[in-house]
Amino acid sequence: MKTDLIRILDGNIFVLSDGSGDMEAKPSVPCGFFSFDTRFLSVWRLTVNGERMSALARDDPSYFEVRFFLVPGAPTHYVDAKVSVIRERSVAGSFEEQLTVFNHSGEPADLIVRLDADSDFFPLIVVGQPHTPRGRLYKRVENGRLHFGYERDTFRRETVISTTEPAQVDERGLTYHIRIGPHGRWTTTLHVRGLVLRPDGQDVREHVYPGRHRRNRSRLQGDLQQWLGKAPQLTCDWEPLERTYRRCMVDLAALRFSPLTLPAEAMPAAGLPWNATLTGRDSIFTSLQALPFASDLAVATLRMLGIDQGAVLDDFRDEEPGKILREFRYGELVAFEERPQCPYYGAADTTPLYVILLDEYERWTGNAAVVREFEDEARAALHWIDEYGDIMGDGYVWYQRRNEKTGLENQCWKESGHAISFRDGSLPGLPRATCELQGYAYDAKIRGARLARQFWNDPAYADRLEREAAELKQRFNRDFWVADGEYYALALDGDGRQVDALSSNIGHLLWSGIVEESRAAKIAEHLLGPRLFCGWGVRSLAEGEGRYNPLGYHVGTVFPFDNAFIAWGLRRYGFTHEAGHIAEKIIDAADFFQGRLPEAFGGYDRKVVTGPVPYPAANSPQASATGAPLLLVRTLLGLEPYGDDLVVEPALPERFGRVELLDIPGRWGRVDAMGSVDQRTQQTAGR
Amino acid sequence: MSETTRKFFDALERHGHERVLKKTNGTIRFDLEHDHEVDHWFVEICGGAVRVSQRNSDADAVIRADSAFFDRMVRGEAKPLPAWLRNEITSEGQFRFIVLLERLFAPPPGARHPRALARDPGGRR
Repeated sequence: MKTDLIRILDGNIFVLSDGSGDMEAKPSVPCGFFSFDTRFLSVWRLTVNGERMSALARDDPSYFEVRFFLVPGAPTHYVDAKVSVIRERSVAGSFEEQLTVFNHSGEPADLIVRLDADSDFFPLIVVGQPHTPRGRLYKRVENGRLHFGYERDTFRRETVISTTEPAQVDERGLTYHIRIGPHGRWTTTLHVRGLVLRPDGQDVREHVYPGRHRRNRSRLQGDLQQWLGKAPQLTCDWEPLERTYRRCMVDLAALRFSPLTLPAEAMPAAGLPWNATLTGRDSIFTSLQALPFASDLAVATLRMLGIDQGAVLDDFRDEEPGKILREFRYGELVAFEERPQCPYYGAADTTPLYVILLDEYERWTGNAAVVREFEDEARAALHWIDEYGDIMGDGYVWYQRRNEKTGLENQCWKESGHAISFRDGSLPGLPRATCELQGYAYDAKIRGARLARQFWNDPAYADRLEREAAELKQRFNRDFWVADGEYYALALDGDGRQVDALSSNIGHLLWSGIVEESRAAKIAEHLLGPRLFCGWGVRSLAEGEGRYNPLGYHVGTVFPFDNAFIAWGLRRYGFTHEAGHIAEKIIDAADFFQGRLPEAFGGYDRKVVTGPVPYPAANSPQASATGAPLLLVRTLLGLEPYGDDLVVEPALPERFGRVELLDIPGRWGRVDAMGSVDQRTQQTAGR
Repeated sequence: MSETTRKFFDALERHGHERVLKKTNGTIRFDLEHDHEVDHWFVEICGGAVRVSQRNSDADAVIRADSAFFDRMVRGEAKPLPAWLRNEITSEGQFRFIVLLERLFAPPPGARHPRALARDPGGRR
């Protein structure tokens, strides 16, 4: 996949194009205008007098707007254009593009401006693959508007393109024959709407009410200013951290969307382009990371995932009662149940993570009403761990898909097919119990016990959860410890054998607190050691393992969100130096991406690459990667709610100098946190 | 109207509280079409308790479906959310009640407990 696509977005609606603003979609180039999990434009190509455009410059005024400065013709060393074009576009609910053509000569110019357009209506989940549609495509020109449509039984999607200036419209695009006076200009605005139609020709979303707010540029702009105004302000002597923080807060705003079910609330979409949708894992991880900065995301996430919580056994969806979903899609393939994401529940981590988010949310905000509101959901989630997660009846959380055709084989965050392997690269049988799932289950029980005791008035249940957690910790430290490597196994296979590859998953165990104190130092040593630590961050899989590949999705690449949770875990066990080191290197990497960390980047040794190499198909912006620097700031400053107060215990690597985070919202109102490099460190460095 | 439909609404009034959360409140009207007629079923959920009548009243959500297709959903053979996406059922009003339908209908026939799969040697791979 091309990584240099120009992206603008409004939550789960987005436009991806090349550097001149054109879109020509191919399986390897996921260009287009996307909404409702459907590509509504796959071709959008501008020519002037038959010539393609070259970009001289680009301006990104906001996450939902971009401006291209173009001239006709191929770029040469000498540009003396008599004509230039400013192409300004935005995506705010729908897609709008303003074209302004300039005549720079002293003579009138007769020009033919042409926009070729088309749509393939591919569902987003197959955009990266060859795909043959089952339905019928249609095109028509009506009242000066160009309509593209796709129909399959009663399923119907339509693209409508309109223009403010008169155009000659045919089924493949719009042509303007224009004359521009000397040193004059000409402007038109094109509006592209993606419709989700019922058989009666009306958009289904018009029949959902209360509906979502109408979106336009000024509303999005105002909303962004308000969002940034509410967020804590960060200053730091090391500029990359400031830059990255600003970028993250904007990208987090950009990724927010309101599901049909919750028209007045906003939660994070998982990421562009592949996961611009509601997912369980990313929305929980991101909400956790963002708690000190924007805690409302957590409430919307808890509410939405609670409404969609599994209610029955369903093999196709890998659904069980109490389970939290993995993913929800609106596209054609799920509508016809060729794919299960409506919703799909194939994830064994989301359910314990749901309880963890609920507890952590209360610790920050003091909002007990929310804990009571979601008591049933949290109890159902805790019940799921024992009844449906514990497939083998031995007290661990396992997974094994029942949908063997289109379900996921790996149902943890490392869900690609080869992510869970033995040292020699061979793959374990099913079911599988990955180690971090046990950590999450442990943490969920500990936190569930706190909620039961303090808010649900059920001390007996709290006692039981704590007893189970203690037993789980003991059992886990016995069964998962790889004696000859001195770390925790990546997983157990169905025969109870240790899947013994060394992986970043051991870092999540620190976050969960399931690691025995006496073993924590060894885990920290592995995480920062040469096999796992590449110089920019912790690799997903250690160098030297059979499946290791620095560009392999979950088998060698570095995931910023993973690193943030690892740093948080190291801090929990007192490894402040190690946590700070990871934070510094990830922020360092972020600066190479102008503050926008991709979902993953290459695990190459820092000594052999000049900068982090982006993983070719990475989502960007991606919600949990966007949240990573936020959690790292929390970790660096040692922010921890304690009763009704916020404890601040900064531990900063030297490079950060001084960090100030002002107006941190929480149950304490708003407080400031400041940290500077430890005096002794400075003295040592000065010698 | 079909026997399946009538039995479903009878059971919903008696056992609906076991399927919906205590905090659920709202009204759903089902408009079920068959032989050029429309049957109305009005479901009130108040604090998780369910009451059913055949009033044709305004509701927080109105769900329109072909009567035979509705019976397939009742039996767990078809799922409401994908059906809504392909316009096999249509709705007016609050979307959360479409999601709620998922809780009201029977599970798909033949669905297995995850443990059943792990115990079955054929299921282990």
